[in-house]
Amino acid sequence: MVELFMQYLLWPLVKIIVVVLFLVLMVMAMTYAERKVVAHIQVRLGPMRVGWHGILQPVADTVKLLFKEDIIPIKADLPVFILAPILVAIPAFLVFAVIPFGPAPFYIADINVGILFVLAISSFGILAILLGGWAANSKYPFMGGLRSCAQMISYELPMGLAVVSVLLVAQNLSLVSIVEWQQKSGWWLFALQPVAFVIYFICGVAETNRCPFDLPEAESELVGGFHTEYSGLRFAFFFMAEYINMVAISALTVVLFLGGWLRPFPNVAWLSFLDYVPPVVWFLLKTFFFLYLYLWIRGTFPRYRFDQLMAVGWKWFLPITLANCIVTAGVLLFFYYR
Amino acid sequence: MGPQHPATHGVLRLKLVLDGEKVLDCEAVIGYLHRGIEKVVESQDYQQIPPHMDRIDYTAAVSNVLGYVEAVEKLMGVTVPPRAQYLRTLMTELNRLASHLIWLGTHALDIGAMTVFLYAFREREEILKVFEACFGARLTTHAFRIGGLAEDIPPGVLDKVREFTDYFPKRVAEYEQLLTGNRIWMNRTIGVGCISAEDAISFGLTGPSLRGSGVRWDMRRAKPYAAYADMDFEIPIGKNGDTFDRYLVRMEEMRQSNRIIRQALDRLPDGPVRAKVPKVIKPPAGEIYHAIEAPKGVLGYYIVSDGSSKPHRLRVRPPSYFNLAAIKKMIVGSLVADVVAVIGTLDIVLGEIDR
Amino acid sequence: MTLRQLLRKVFLIDFLEGFAITGPYTFKKVYTEQYPKVPAKVPPRFHGAPRLNVDPETGKTLCIACDLCAQACPIGLIEVQRERNAETKRWELKGYTYNAARCMFCNLCAEACPTNALELSQTFEYAVYDMKELYWDKAALEKGPTVVRFTK
Repeated sequence: MVELFMQYLLWPLVKIIVVVLFLVLMVMAMTYAERKVVAHIQVRLGPMRVGWHGILQPVADTVKLLFKEDIIPIKADLPVFILAPILVAIPAFLVFAVIPFGPAPFYIADINVGILFVLAISSFGILAILLGGWAANSKYPFMGGLRSCAQMISYELPMGLAVVSVLLVAQNLSLVSIVEWQQKSGWWLFALQPVAFVIYFICGVAETNRCPFDLPEAESELVGGFHTEYSGLRFAFFFMAEYINMVAISALTVVLFLGGWLRPFPNVAWLSFLDYVPPVVWFLLKTFFFLYLYLWIRGTFPRYRFDQLMAVGWKWFLPITLANCIVTAGVLLFFYYR
Repeated sequence: MGPQHPATHGVLRLKLVLDGEKVLDCEAVIGYLHRGIEKVVESQDYQQIPPHMDRIDYTAAVSNVLGYVEAVEKLMGVTVPPRAQYLRTLMTELNRLASHLIWLGTHALDIGAMTVFLYAFREREEILKVFEACFGARLTTHAFRIGGLAEDIPPGVLDKVREFTDYFPKRVAEYEQLLTGNRIWMNRTIGVGCISAEDAISFGLTGPSLRGSGVRWDMRRAKPYAAYADMDFEIPIGKNGDTFDRYLVRMEEMRQSNRIIRQALDRLPDGPVRAKVPKVIKPPAGEIYHAIEAPKGVLGYYIVSDGSSKPHRLRVRPPSYFNLAAIKKMIVGSLVADVVAVIGTLDIVLGEIDR
Repeated sequence: MTLRQLLRKVFLIDFLEGFAITGPYTFKKVYTEQYPKVPAKVPPRFHGAPRLNVDPETGKTLCIACDLCAQACPIGLIEVQRERNAETKRWELKGYTYNAARCMFCNLCAEACPTNALELSQTFEYAVYDMKELYWDKAALEKGPTVVRFTK
């Protein structure tokens, strides 16, 4: 009885709390890192006032957001307006239920359809954004919401197809098993599926509405997009969801293509001194690299236009990933299953 | 859209009629920054007017003052000493760089490339430092006086300018590497806001907006003023008259400006910087129109003098005002995101439009 | 489209070029000044707060009450109160006010001054809460504005 309690209630609960805390910390760290990295790219310093080199800036921001007046526009659709930020935050957290941070105990759940779960849950966030844009009853959020919706739907597809080609190779839907396959074969999947890797990450950037695909919130056109009318804590939820999604996409890229918690060249014996670094650290290092890439991209590129974005998604990524799938399947069929 | 909107470069208001994301109609509403400068200066002495001219196009204050001061000098028949002419040319070209850098930064920022904005402002800062050392102010410089400059530029500044001209082309190359070849930038600018040469001329477009359409018209070459007659420079023109061409034209213009500065530095003659002018300036009764090539286009001054120490009427022909007139032609039929790009490419300054 | 352009597109060369610019800048020296912490330096010609100079030896004002500055000012913010001395037939300075709130720092007044009494100094940190405090009289102009420096 106690054992069951431990196994099904206590342990998962502890893990969930740890993961949620980690994510909240990550969000704060990311806001800080974003400002600092982009600032340094732009030969300036970024926040410097709060704490040493502004390290406490996220805390100050959080406090500010918590205490800010919560403005609800008169014309807003109240229930939806309140519901949207909550709906956007929940799926963002939920994705982490299946992401393996390391071997055996370092994940909350290993369900055998893990990747499907991730795709399903992350699509759910679109609904919330659409609701948020709709509920404010204002022109800019409305357009932002529509753009966001169209964008996420059209990038979901190539993203899913990119994942399919990974699944074809790994022959498994569970995220843990995918990493284990990479360990067994000794190949990180990005080497076997470079096209899928690049497209997956680009689609991931588009999914999270980040630069250069940040049309839904384009400051210069839509003044912030779907969250224009939100303020205070509700705005913080949107913000948090965006950053958690970034972490999620980075983590997924690592799991699917960069061998998750594995060290570089997992089967090369003479590199075994790298094993002294715990697997979780490897995982986090790789994730941080992609998060940095996010910021680097933001500091470098202009923004796509709406129609061009759709064109890139439907005219380029979708056919390429489809072709990639077919080629992968064909190669596997002819050379592997013979 | 506007008047408070992050992409309208001031207080421009655009009434847009949209179908989804498509722009069906557009009407620009101006006048939010009207200060009545043309009326104010009618009650001012001729020497007191340049500080007001600074505030017409506050991103290119030096050019504005140059245009006014030269108009008055023309009216009075004053010959400006060569050193002053060269220094004026030099400072005006530096100002052109500063103005183009603002344009580049904000244009790129509107299209989403945030970093270029900061890089451009870093170079602009160096130029403003030069202005600060020479004229005592950074933006509204009150650079020139009637008859020349207020005083000679302090020692050491020329070396700084020379240093700046050495590394500036490299910086332009950096911007180009960040933007020109970038496929997103190309997608966003090529074919956006097209205007044909005929339309551009009939709308009265001037400056890079006109040259982007392929019309080789530059007041510096057409009717040389200051020391431009001695300078060797090229006038870049575009082909298609779209945003990308105007971008390329301005980028090339920055390089050419750099060349002009370099030549002005090398050939800078010695001598006085101010001609002898009476304390109270009373131009003979008459009228004059003098136009110069400001960073944004042809900037003209029309002065009617009645022989007193105050102008009877002073009319400014601001380039931005005429450039803005073409906005409807440029954006009807395009998407909302293009509106921002077109506003950026026209390089309007609302202080100049409303005066 | 030439082969080179095609290859550039496929291998995302244009993006990599962008990265090559922004990446190294991350580790270069920052350009910005930490202004309130590090006081900004302005060149000697900077036009800042107006100041009425006094003779360094006698401490008397250099102003001869000629009213040229007031006439030169485009805005008319200088007011010179003066009286003609019946004996010496000279103007005597009775009061001097300078409305610094409206000043646009064009330096015309200082250029008009025949004795270098009026000068636009390098001080620029004299923000106040009440606009009336910027209405400076002779004593305030001679003393110069109180500079409020940033303290943490």
